Amino acid sequence: MNTSVRKCAHERDALSATAVIEAILLVSSRPVTLSVLLSVTKLPEPKVRAAISKLKKNYSLEASGIVLREVAGGFQFATNPLCADVLERFRQEDRPSPLSGAAYEVLACILYLGPLTRADINVARGVNSDAVVRNLLDRNLLAEVGLAKGRAGTPALLDITEDFILAAGARDRDDFPTLEALVGPEEIARLRERVHGQTGERSVEDRSGGDR
Amino acid sequence: MSAEHRSLGTLEDFTIELDVYSGPYQGLLALILKDELEIFEVSLRELITLYQSAYEVPEASANIPGTLERDTNFVDSATSLLLLKGRALTPTPETGGEEADEGLFSPQNLEERLLSYLKIRRGAEALEERFAKNTGFYPSSHNLRPRRGNLRVPPNRLTVAMRRIVSRMTEPEVRHLGPITVTLGELVTLIRASLTRGPLSFEDLICDMDRLRSAVAFAATLSLASEGRLILSQPEPFGPLTLEPVK
Repeated sequence: MNTSVRKCAHERDALSATAVIEAILLVSSRPVTLSVLLSVTKLPEPKVRAAISKLKKNYSLEASGIVLREVAGGFQFATNPLCADVLERFRQEDRPSPLSGAAYEVLACILYLGPLTRADINVARGVNSDAVVRNLLDRNLLAEVGLAKGRAGTPALLDITEDFILAAGARDRDDFPTLEALVGPEEIARLRERVHGQTGERSVEDRSGGDR
Repeated sequence: MSAEHRSLGTLEDFTIELDVYSGPYQGLLALILKDELEIFEVSLRELITLYQSAYEVPEASANIPGTLERDTNFVDSATSLLLLKGRALTPTPETGGEEADEGLFSPQNLEERLLSYLKIRRGAEALEERFAKNTGFYPSSHNLRPRRGNLRVPPNRLTVAMRRIVSRMTEPEVRHLGPITVTLGELVTLIRASLTRGPLSFEDLICDMDRLRSAVAFAATLSLASEGRLILSQPEPFGPLTLEPVK
């Protein structure tokens, strides 16, 4: 080990793990995963986890203008949303215009049923969604991730991006409630009643139950 | 939402400000027809409210000529939008034949489709709430340059980028356009000749022209202004345009 490397190691040892991780997170605009932190710092996992817990306390919504978020499979420093108005004034920037209801529907389709082609999205929503998809691609909330091989014209498959996960403040794709959990049994029963109430037809579940 | 308030005027003057669009009403119609803006993004109820607030006239001036024509034109276009939205909402059969239609619109099929859509709708609402809760987090802007030779690009992103570069753009449909009756060059000559007499308002320039010539005159004006051959001034958005010769 030469002198300069030894000197760096010595200086790093003098710093606490918290300080080192704090510095790494500060210079990264994207979330940094635990495995990257471990490999870069060469510190043992319990020490890194303890440092992250300490940083979470120091950089909480109540305590600081900067917060430590656990998003998109990693850790990221971001400004406190309570300071957002002042920051937008300071940087003379407008907040991006909010997404429309149609855009959220397209995102939900891809999140829960994806990756999907544009045609799949149109079928799921029952309407043409090309303009909405274009807007979401421009905003980098969706991306083309491959081709639907075996389908006529091999259309592009669309999936959500890391920016989407970040915008939703989620840890990963599994950090969303399931579709089934979002619709209560009463709501489903009401819908069935409305569809079958007048015709006297049996519902899909009734029929499949009867067949068994 | 807002609309410029005026007591009178034509539909051409009707400007709107919605979340998804800001500008002349006729521009909105053009964008919808060109599929640049999805009809579902536009609340027709909001549009009608804007129109009513923009052209609210006192009873005494209600008989002013042109008002009825303007209102009729608006109702006509709003009805078309309503029809377009209704048609787009109707499910399209994926396979032909009466049997397929029967299956598609059966109560069971309708239930499946509605249930599936209801789930997506609730998913969308949950996402909207989640996005709203997570706005205002700005990450560090400090981006370190990657070390030489250390830049990693996932292969699938390279594939997509290459596909975009080499894929051929679809040629736009132009069969509906009539024969060319006016050229940009003609209008450039006309504008330059008119400017020899001094500053000129764009309205005066196009007062005797049809829609096509007016559009080409506008393109010619922009072209000359971008080349620095004339000075184009407009005191406010959608205000009058003035063309001045360069001294």
